[in-house]
Amino acid sequence: MASPSESDRKIITRFLHKTLHAVVASRVPRLHHAAAAGPASPKNDRWFHLALDDHPSPADHHGAVVDPLVFDILLTRRGCSDVIVERWTARCVPPVPWSAASPHHPHDGSFLRRTYKKCTILLRSIYTLLRLLPVHRIFRLLCSSSQPYNYDLCHKVLSFAAPFSRAQEAELKQYSFAPVETMLGHLVVSVQYRPSLTNFNLEVSLPTPPLIITDYVGSPAADPMRPFPSSLPDRMSHPIVYQYPPRGIRTLAAPSFDRPHSWNSASMVHHHLSSAPGPPDSELLPGHYGHLVPNQRSSMERKGSSGFGEFKLSPPCSTSPSPSPPTRVGNSQLSRLHSETSPVSIPLPATENNQMHRSPNFSDPFKSLFPPPSPRSTRTDLSFRESPSKSISFRKPDGFSLGDIHSNLHMHAAYKVIKDGRDDSGRFSALSSGGSPGYGFSSSSRQSIQDDLDDEDFSYPFAFDDVDTSDSQTRSLDGKEASENSGSHKSQEAAVGILVHMLKTAAPLRQDQSCSMQSLEPNGEASISSSVMSRKACDALEELQSYKEMKNLLLSKSGAKLQDSVKQRKESSEALS
Amino acid sequence: MNCETCQLKELVVEPPEIREVLRCILHTILFHRALGLVRPKDVECELFDITYVQCEDHELEKKIDEKINQFIGWVEKHPNRKSQVCISFYEVKNKHATWFGNKIERFYWEQWYINLHIISPKPHGKSHNTKAHVVTGENAFEESNSRCAALESSLREVLFQIIKFVNEKKDHIPPLQNSEIVSYPYEISTPR
Repeated sequence: MASPSESDRKIITRFLHKTLHAVVASRVPRLHHAAAAGPASPKNDRWFHLALDDHPSPADHHGAVVDPLVFDILLTRRGCSDVIVERWTARCVPPVPWSAASPHHPHDGSFLRRTYKKCTILLRSIYTLLRLLPVHRIFRLLCSSSQPYNYDLCHKVLSFAAPFSRAQEAELKQYSFAPVETMLGHLVVSVQYRPSLTNFNLEVSLPTPPLIITDYVGSPAADPMRPFPSSLPDRMSHPIVYQYPPRGIRTLAAPSFDRPHSWNSASMVHHHLSSAPGPPDSELLPGHYGHLVPNQRSSMERKGSSGFGEFKLSPPCSTSPSPSPPTRVGNSQLSRLHSETSPVSIPLPATENNQMHRSPNFSDPFKSLFPPPSPRSTRTDLSFRESPSKSISFRKPDGFSLGDIHSNLHMHAAYKVIKDGRDDSGRFSALSSGGSPGYGFSSSSRQSIQDDLDDEDFSYPFAFDDVDTSDSQTRSLDGKEASENSGSHKSQEAAVGILVHMLKTAAPLRQDQSCSMQSLEPNGEASISSSVMSRKACDALEELQSYKEMKNLLLSKSGAKLQDSVKQRKESSEALS
Repeated sequence: MNCETCQLKELVVEPPEIREVLRCILHTILFHRALGLVRPKDVECELFDITYVQCEDHELEKKIDEKINQFIGWVEKHPNRKSQVCISFYEVKNKHATWFGNKIERFYWEQWYINLHIISPKPHGKSHNTKAHVVTGENAFEESNSRCAALESSLREVLFQIIKFVNEKKDHIPPLQNSEIVSYPYEISTPR
């Protein structure tokens, strides 16, 4: 059995250890996290009936019982020196041996129990005070928040600490607990703390300061008209936009139609000029392209161009007036430019003597804008004829370019004029009287247009609602034209066109219908369809006469049959009688 | 054995703050008098920037909440009054068996008086002038903030007072007689 002094010593030692444990657990976030992350220990420190979480042993009091135990709580800040925000001092002050006031304690267990009880209460007071001091707020922030702060709390355990200076002591407050009397002396616990921490710039620290990107290009949803930053290569900041004819260089401060595409002429201009900087896709003009079409691309002009054999596919041109979002030009864009088709020349206003533009002109920057001309456009050129095989082999562009649309519109209008002219006399007379739709064309051009109409590539004729004419004059005219055409066109496209034309101008079925109606109706009155009404009066009279003759014939036949039947009955009756 | 009495500093509180204030004070007192094996639990006040400690005992919490509710009920019937909540620690002694039954005597060895001055929240001054009404509302907000800050400071002083008292007065505490969390019987008294 331990002596009372040994028990006292043990109580004091355990008390000091427990006090240090309670302070560190309430002040050092690192140890707090370590204790929370670790497994729960089945054996908690139950000394003084205060179960605390297991923490890594901060330090043990290895010195004598009477040696003080000092633990400083330090506030560490980035770039600043550590500051002592709390200093806890716990020690057992031995009584003065020669003092008469030294109490005489009975050597029984009751004193130990009282000592133990008082240490228990003192420890609870220390635990409560730890939560009332200002540093506890910082501890809570550091433990609860996952954000990095520019400060931290740490501790330092000393057996002896240099006293504070007067200036430091002036900034500190002190609280001392009532001493607990033990057989070895008085347990004294005190704390010096800073009553306010507002002087310290305690804030959340950011790992990296925010950076402002000055040359942010932006997303497609951003303002497309924002100029490119100067950090891009010079060739990007000075795009080359081509007009027709190409002139000069335009800056980025352009209207909304200044946005080029990679398939535009400006990109094609510099395609074969490898040394020249390629303009970014967003710098060329879709509107400019649209501007070119009505002036440059007409059916007459297309005939002179024959570069379709060498023409490669190009992406369709957008006819939308709104600019496309800006695209960053990089190596990928340049490589795409270089991999695209070579420029194809646009035919100049066509004349028969102008043969130069009928050959592929790779120097023409606008060749790639338009799809290759149809083979029909070359047929009228007497000096240049495409073989049927070659004309078939040309590849149409994937998309339907504006020029193609425009040329087709021309064809459509021309064809409609002709169709209207071939209709009733009223309409035909209108045409003959000069009521042209505005497309002035001579007889020679009319023939060429007809050739174009017969081309298989021209799909518009099938879209028309043909006004069926059973007029023999119109059929005769069609037949003449067909014969003329068949004589002049030997290509397969022309033959198909002829066939289509014949089908269109074929005789209607109502004549057969009229015959069937006559057989069904013995009265011989044939109904006249609405289409008959459109015919001429003379034709109608002729037909009426033919009907009358038929009627008489039928009547005569029927009358003869009746007479025969009557005779047979008489004979039979006479025979019976 | 004398009875130690501690009159805590008077706190001026509004009805919504009663529960938080009483919880903080009562649990702090009982934590110092629950000398059985205790696993302390930190509790942060919702209305004040104060952390106090509770004993992790559900029965104790339940009993305290019941008494607080009882007191709040009384305050609703008697508004704008000064009142006290008393927590007393006693020991049972001398069970005298008599002809009429067992007589149980309580010897109170410690009493704590929690002094509260319950005030009603000030209504905003009615004014037909919108500007004056806005100014009045701002003043009331500032007054409320200052009053709340003063209450927090006073509550902190009360807690310090408790710590000082329990550390200075230890000899009157009777010896431990059981291993329960709350080692000594107690009672919480509220006005009736």
